[in-house]
Amino acid sequence: MKRHIKYLSVWVLLISTLQTNGVSAHAVVTDYSLKLKPIHAQQADHIELTFNSKIELGLSQIFLVSKGDKHDLLTAEMGKKQGQIIIKVPALVAGEYAIRFKVFAADGHITEDVIHFTVS
Amino acid sequence: MAGIADFLDSLIGGFDLICYSLLMGGVFWGLFVLKPWQKDNNYNIELLNKTISLIYKGGFLLAAAQFFKIVLKVWLMTALLGRWPFPEFADTTQFIGGIIRTFFSILIAAYVYGILRNNAFSQKHWLIAIVVSLPLLISGAWLVHAAGRFDNRALLMTLTVFHQLGAAAWVGGVFQLGNVWILHKRQLISTDNWPFLLRNFSKFGMISVGFILVSGFPIAFQYIDSWDGLVGTGYGNLLMVKVVLLGLALGLAWLNRSAMLAFFRTRQTAALFGRVPHYVEAETLVLVILLFTAASLASQPPAIDISSLTASWQEVVNTFAPQIPQTTSPSHVALIAGEAGRVAIIDQVPSLAATEWSNYNHNIAGIFLTVMSFFAMLSYSHKLPFTKYWPLGFVGLGIFLFFRSDAETWPLGPIGFWESTFNNGEVLQHRIATLLVLVLGLFELTARITKNPDSKLPFVFPVLAAFGGLMLLTHSHVGFQAKSAFLIQVGHTTMGIFALILSCGRWLELKLDKPGKEIAGFTSVAALFLIGIVLMFYREPLY
Repeated sequence: MKRHIKYLSVWVLLISTLQTNGVSAHAVVTDYSLKLKPIHAQQADHIELTFNSKIELGLSQIFLVSKGDKHDLLTAEMGKKQGQIIIKVPALVAGEYAIRFKVFAADGHITEDVIHFTVS
Repeated sequence: MAGIADFLDSLIGGFDLICYSLLMGGVFWGLFVLKPWQKDNNYNIELLNKTISLIYKGGFLLAAAQFFKIVLKVWLMTALLGRWPFPEFADTTQFIGGIIRTFFSILIAAYVYGILRNNAFSQKHWLIAIVVSLPLLISGAWLVHAAGRFDNRALLMTLTVFHQLGAAAWVGGVFQLGNVWILHKRQLISTDNWPFLLRNFSKFGMISVGFILVSGFPIAFQYIDSWDGLVGTGYGNLLMVKVVLLGLALGLAWLNRSAMLAFFRTRQTAALFGRVPHYVEAETLVLVILLFTAASLASQPPAIDISSLTASWQEVVNTFAPQIPQTTSPSHVALIAGEAGRVAIIDQVPSLAATEWSNYNHNIAGIFLTVMSFFAMLSYSHKLPFTKYWPLGFVGLGIFLFFRSDAETWPLGPIGFWESTFNNGEVLQHRIATLLVLVLGLFELTARITKNPDSKLPFVFPVLAAFGGLMLLTHSHVGFQAKSAFLIQVGHTTMGIFALILSCGRWLELKLDKPGKEIAGFTSVAALFLIGIVLMFYREPLY
């Protein structure tokens, strides 16, 4: 019978070691201001992101990605709406950019994603 | 090491649910199935000791798993943020709730170990176990993903807790049934305990499933608001996988119930003592994988939140459309040349070579499996002796995958073997899958040519096939947009279900007598064939 227990243990152990990460985590951006309000060149501005879940801002990082995939850390604060964060963006020259974020949601999942935008 | 942390972080959710089922399902088993305080049930202390031992071990393991989850989060955040996450992490619901849940897990486990174990026949002490577990149940509500939502938060948290309880009652009960069978085979308990407890559990199991469905439907309707959301998102897809697995488990449960009812009608023991234990083993496997799928589901964004990224049903059907397999590969030079543009954030350029490289890998793997399953079917005729060497195909497939899975890494690419394996969760999965396929082939080949009738080697194949199925059900492809990722996921999850059928079929083929043996064996090989077909027609989106 010990063999059966051994088999069962091996089963559970093997199966336990093979859970993998999901394609994306639970928190996702449901809305962002860039859709309605583009960023203009040479003007400091802000971008609003709205998530479907509560975000722990102190444990999150947001980067501005510019040509050559250069990363600059941005500062952000909580917005007035639920799940909203407001990212301060410095004055930029015209071109292609992206916001890359790693956020820790209240449900414990860490989400990484990228939003592309154009400054004109 | 972030890849390992990420990998462990996602697997711990399924392990947590297994421990939770051992603990809570065990307490329910004692209260509603075993009822040891009743005088006429002929239980001995051995049965009670083993029952209670499963419960407190589950509780202590749950505490360890919960604490390890916190450690993993700290590890992962340190790796991702590049700094120590405290003091901010100490203020989060996950940290506070996790510590509280760890404490309450230890509390109930300690009660079961210290008090219930010494009063195993007392109804009062079993009832107290439920009361002592209440703080654990309630504290768990703040750790489910509904806790982070804005709409109907309290309702969703409550429903999720009830859903988990229903699942724990069923799965924990099946674990206990397995335990009863082991004790029966060791002749440590009375012969009539097995049919008696099967009958008691049959009713309780149906109530548990009812509980799962009653709490699960409203959750599903909250997170999925359309047919497209069900068919065309990762969340909907994994929910459907859960439904299919639930159907498989219920099918096996129905076989158990039919055999049990027939026994009480006719007193014929063949099915109850010959087949049912093996159905219980297969049901255990399906339910364990169901728990891991449930944990994986929690990492997916709900369909209702990504309506603009939902695939249509036509796009989903198209991923399975028959096509001529791609049998020529782009060169490694062409693939590497396109990588810089493909992985760039600004000025990203989709790589046709990368897509064709992947299509070729999947399609060739499909040809391998289809041909192997064809020879496997022929081997059952016993007229062509060479066909018993069909598992050699797995060895060839393993070598093929080793060279082709991650072209940017060693041996073909510039990234070193260890660096790529331990820093990228996806590469780690591919490495494990490659090793798995190689080991699978070698073991199964040895098992089929061995002259030893008592060899345990044949059981390695179904165990590793289940392991592979689990990988497919939870396989991730980082770097895709949500819709592309889903269209890849849907093929992988379909193959994952077939892999599980392959595993259960082969397990039952090895355990059952004719005619069940042959039916199970054919089903198993047919599932392998279908995996091959899905792979042969696989097409990856351009990215």
